[in-house]
Amino acid sequence: MNVLIYSGLVLLLIPLQSTLLPHVIVWGVKPDAGLVAACFIGLIAGELRGMVVGLAIGWAMSLFSAGELWVSLVTKGGAGFCAGMMGRHLTRVSPSLMGIGVFAMSCLSGLMELFMLASLSESWWHVWSIILPQACFDALVAAGSYWVFSEWFVRERFAMSPRY
Amino acid sequence: MWMVNFRSPYGTRRLVLASVLLLLVVLFLLPNQSQGLLQYISNPLGQVISLPLQAISWIDNGISELWAGYVALQVVREENEQLRREMDLLRGQNSQLREAAAATERLKSLLQFKEQAASVMVAAQVIGRDATNSYRSVILNKGESDGVKPEMGVVTPVGVVGRVVKTTGATAVVLLVTDPNNAIAGLIQRTRDEGIVEGTHQGLARLKYIPLLSTVRDGDRVVTSGLVGGFPRGLPIGTIRRIDRSEGALFQSAELMPEVDMSRLEEVLVIQDPRGESSSAN
Repeated sequence: MNVLIYSGLVLLLIPLQSTLLPHVIVWGVKPDAGLVAACFIGLIAGELRGMVVGLAIGWAMSLFSAGELWVSLVTKGGAGFCAGMMGRHLTRVSPSLMGIGVFAMSCLSGLMELFMLASLSESWWHVWSIILPQACFDALVAAGSYWVFSEWFVRERFAMSPRY
Repeated sequence: MWMVNFRSPYGTRRLVLASVLLLLVVLFLLPNQSQGLLQYISNPLGQVISLPLQAISWIDNGISELWAGYVALQVVREENEQLRREMDLLRGQNSQLREAAAATERLKSLLQFKEQAASVMVAAQVIGRDATNSYRSVILNKGESDGVKPEMGVVTPVGVVGRVVKTTGATAVVLLVTDPNNAIAGLIQRTRDEGIVEGTHQGLARLKYIPLLSTVRDGDRVVTSGLVGGFPRGLPIGTIRRIDRSEGALFQSAELMPEVDMSRLEEVLVIQDPRGESSSAN
């Protein structure tokens, strides 16, 4: 059942990211729904699932992007893994904490892409114009989504379920 | 109450982690060798994902047309009048061009020029944009199964759009001419000076490596040189709007306004088989 849910998520994420999110571009950037989804799954379902689903999301997104495959795999898979590891040490997750965590993940992910992409002379432009705005956007989306969906299942998971 | 056991056996966890690390090491150390295998595995995945992508793109286009056609009527009348004026102007230019074309045909037959073969093209629709913010690219609804391959040029009747960088069975990713990672061989139509056209961060293009002695000026048109890449000679890329000359530099560069409006791409043509220009008379 979980495989079907995650497969459906990956299938719907690409049309969302490529076709619908370009309509909500702010300051030249759109949110990275794949990164936010990988962080959510890592936080909720553990680091292993977060990493595997993150890898699947990264792979699927790289097919519809001009970027390198392994960069996409590392950023999304790594985000899911790190979110899962952070979730082990948290008992209460608020929307603001979720936003801060995703902001940090998005910055790290952007810096990794920058390391592969731009020459040193363009680094500052890339950080100022793409990485930071995207990280803010991702944090807003993550905090908002967590605030909406946490009432349904996440509160039980963090408040009552054993971690190990 | 929904309770889930999040414990995984340590053996499974270690196996998965080791597999992922091995995969990343192989990708990083053997990129060329792993590319073929990954392409073989990615093709069916790309075909599957292209189905919801095309469906959502169809819905998105429908909503956009509904908005433009029925809700945004306030701009329709002004646009209609402007288009009528432009049409009258173009009719006049058309008749002059027909006269020029007829004269060209007479001259060609006199000089016995060979006919330039038309490029083989396939039409495609734009169904999405790059999934990341780091590249400027569009996604087409044609892929390897339709004969689209990497490095093929993509154009519209107005001018050059970009080139194909990645394909799956049913889709293709086109890197736009305005992306800083793209480079197309171009030449200035009036002076015949050659250079390289690259994208800029501002969403425009730049013609680099123009010789210092070139008489290039604002308003000059830049077209494809046909030397490398998937473009025949003579396709419009953009118009020069500013020239940059630095003290002590070996070359000058010029900022271009692309002919094609990349934000309004809907249908494009993929050049499958570019032809060279005419050979000289005997």
